[in-house]
Amino acid sequence: MSVLNKYTVNVAIENKPSIRDPEGETILRDLMIKNGVTQVRKVRTAKLLELEVEAKDEAQAKTITEKMCSDLRIFNPVVSLCKITVTGEAK
Amino acid sequence: MTKKENPELQLGLTEGEKRTLRKRLGREPNALEWAMVDAEWSEHCSYKSSKPVLKQLPTKGRYVLLGPGFDAGAIDAGDGYVVTIHIESHNHPSAIDPYGGSATGIGGVIRDILSIGTRPIALLDSLRFGDIRSSANSRWLFKNVVRGISDYGNCIGVPTVGGEVGFDPSFEKNCLVDVVCIGLGKKENMVLAEARNSGDSVILMGGSTGRDGIHGVTFASKVLSDESENERSAVQIPSPFVKKLIIEATLEAVATGHVKGLKDLGGGGLTCGISEMAHEGKRGIDVDVSRIPLRESDMSAVETLISESQERMLFVVEHGYESEIEKIFDKYDILHANIGRVTEKDYLVVKKGEAILADMPVETVTEAPIIQRSASKPRHIDTLRGVAPPQQPLDLSETLLTLLASPTIASKRWIYEQYDHEVGVRTVVKPGQSGASVLRLDNGKLLAITVDGNPKHCYLDPYHGAAGGLAEACRNIISVGGEPVAMVDHCQFGDPGDPEVFWTFSESVRGMSDYGRELGLPCVGGKVSFYNEDVAAGSAIKPSPIVAVIGLIEDASHIRRAAPRNEGDRIVIIGNTKPEMGGSEYYEYVHKLTGGEAPKVDFAAEKRLWKTVLEGIRKGLIDAASDCSEGGLAVALAEMTIAGGRGVQIDIDAVPSTCKRLDDLLFSESHGRLVVSVAEKHVKSLVELAERNGVPCGVIGVVKGNSLIIKSGGREAVSLSLKNVRESWSEAIPSYMGEKQ
Repeated sequence: MSVLNKYTVNVAIENKPSIRDPEGETILRDLMIKNGVTQVRKVRTAKLLELEVEAKDEAQAKTITEKMCSDLRIFNPVVSLCKITVTGEAK
Repeated sequence: MTKKENPELQLGLTEGEKRTLRKRLGREPNALEWAMVDAEWSEHCSYKSSKPVLKQLPTKGRYVLLGPGFDAGAIDAGDGYVVTIHIESHNHPSAIDPYGGSATGIGGVIRDILSIGTRPIALLDSLRFGDIRSSANSRWLFKNVVRGISDYGNCIGVPTVGGEVGFDPSFEKNCLVDVVCIGLGKKENMVLAEARNSGDSVILMGGSTGRDGIHGVTFASKVLSDESENERSAVQIPSPFVKKLIIEATLEAVATGHVKGLKDLGGGGLTCGISEMAHEGKRGIDVDVSRIPLRESDMSAVETLISESQERMLFVVEHGYESEIEKIFDKYDILHANIGRVTEKDYLVVKKGEAILADMPVETVTEAPIIQRSASKPRHIDTLRGVAPPQQPLDLSETLLTLLASPTIASKRWIYEQYDHEVGVRTVVKPGQSGASVLRLDNGKLLAITVDGNPKHCYLDPYHGAAGGLAEACRNIISVGGEPVAMVDHCQFGDPGDPEVFWTFSESVRGMSDYGRELGLPCVGGKVSFYNEDVAAGSAIKPSPIVAVIGLIEDASHIRRAAPRNEGDRIVIIGNTKPEMGGSEYYEYVHKLTGGEAPKVDFAAEKRLWKTVLEGIRKGLIDAASDCSEGGLAVALAEMTIAGGRGVQIDIDAVPSTCKRLDDLLFSESHGRLVVSVAEKHVKSLVELAERNGVPCGVIGVVKGNSLIIKSGGREAVSLSLKNVRESWSEAIPSYMGEKQ
């Protein structure tokens, strides 16, 4: 029987590139540009979930998370992208 | 191959329509012209199938200022005030993106109200979903549609004051999201969607034009399939904060008197905007695409002209006053561009700088060829009428609790507590207090508003089902003390190319038309949404005409709610109960039985009921009133006890009725009935009033104690504690949604 480890998995949910992000646009326009910040040209917002997942390795931690996000409709595939990254073993 | 190389590739036009266009132009249209006509001739923009049927609806009335054909209907509210009303759906987008789809639906209907130069003051929604008890997809749609409405409405500061929700397995894939918006303004500031004076400027205001929502109207004019998951260009992203600024800037611009025409850009985008304004004003319009602010610089002229990007308004501004209007838009930091002008010659011309990209007579674009659809009565109608009635359950108390927990009947608090229903402090009768909401107008009068529809009745009998939805809406208006003055309808059906679907649509419209004519209730606007079908299940939604009715209340002392207020008051039922069980919640939800005779509307009886109840309220005889609809008399009584926090003791034998079975009597959804509470001293006068008007009426009980007791033949047929009744009703939806209260 293999031993399970704990991994930190980040799930970032954001609008697809072809789809607008009014929140990001508002932050850029009303916060940054209006306050004289000229170097920032684009802002895209996302929601970040940081999970601790028990799995036998990183690949399995990712698979478990991917399946869960899709089964539980944590994101809407029509509108959003869900980027899943395993950042290492959880302490 | 890209769309540019083959312009016809993505067109929804039929071969016949293509021939018509070639013939009218006398030449081969170019890619842009094809795309523009494709958008304008879509069912969604042109009503090419429904127009001949919709003609039957009565549209004239003493309060009507604007009827169908405009962005919104308008009613004279007296003292120089005008009330506007419109209904929109966003069914297809909500089915694939419930959060964004429902929010943009609100955005759309608000722009329609704004287009007349009136301020949006209230929203109502009518929603339909599949079975939220067994389907995770339906729960997901339900939850996110409600969240979308709530987030958007709350952000723009327009209260959601009421609505209704129904559940039926036929809405599993195709949920329905209808939004009604009410506007208020001054008569002198009313603007129409027209371009009447050549030389005036055409100014596009609001968000930039992007690729979102391209082919939205052709998308809405198609049947959903699994492919739809990938139709992401039809997904639009709402921006409520920009919308709030648009509302304020538009109303300020309109108040200058220099806005000569105004239209919101929704389905069909700029193409629809310019062609319909030119058509209405009998002029032409020239636009220069190079002046249109684009979100992505590589957009083609085709994409620019048919994009359905949200939050855009098209202004026709009196020549010489452009800078005055533009200054207002600048003040609100809203993007705007002078994109063209009104011309004498009635042509639509699209240019890029000096180059002409499209050049077509206005009528060629706006006059879509009418499609004569064939109609045939669905086979199920006659078969289902004769189904055997179910056995009467032994424990009717238990049956009543089951019905109270049916999602269609149960408390909708879970929904409306997410909405802000009081922002703007106009709301007098609030969600949960009655079947209609009441708003205060600026001239001291009050406006009653409700929305109704019954797909289960319509499935069995579309004529009486549709007329019945309208009758129910009117009874809800009357029950708060309002005089119904106008209605808007929204017809939602499957594929009109299916003769059975088209027959059902035609019968529904005929039902609403007859009701409107008999009761003197004009239709001031509406929408038609076809193609609500599910390819996977191979089935259309149940026919879903939805109506919103507005009523006026002259005097605040005439407002009534559903809750009986005093111990000892008498409960009176006005109207006759018949064994019309088809499509009832009792058959459908308790017995899982579809069939039987659906309730019929007796127009003359409804008219007598209106008269009696309004007279009873105005004379101070009636203290509280509630409509009898889904779940019948038993549910109406239960809801009255919950609302008032007091028990009732009822003798069911006193109900005027032709029912032979007790369960029929308790749960029949017959029309033409209202349950009222009356002080003991007024009972005699009310009974006399009903007799004078020829309306059957029965004094059936008394407000008393902490239980709901219904006796039949001297024995308790139903006996439930108030606590028990309240729990079943109020905890049902939160528990189906996985939340305990």
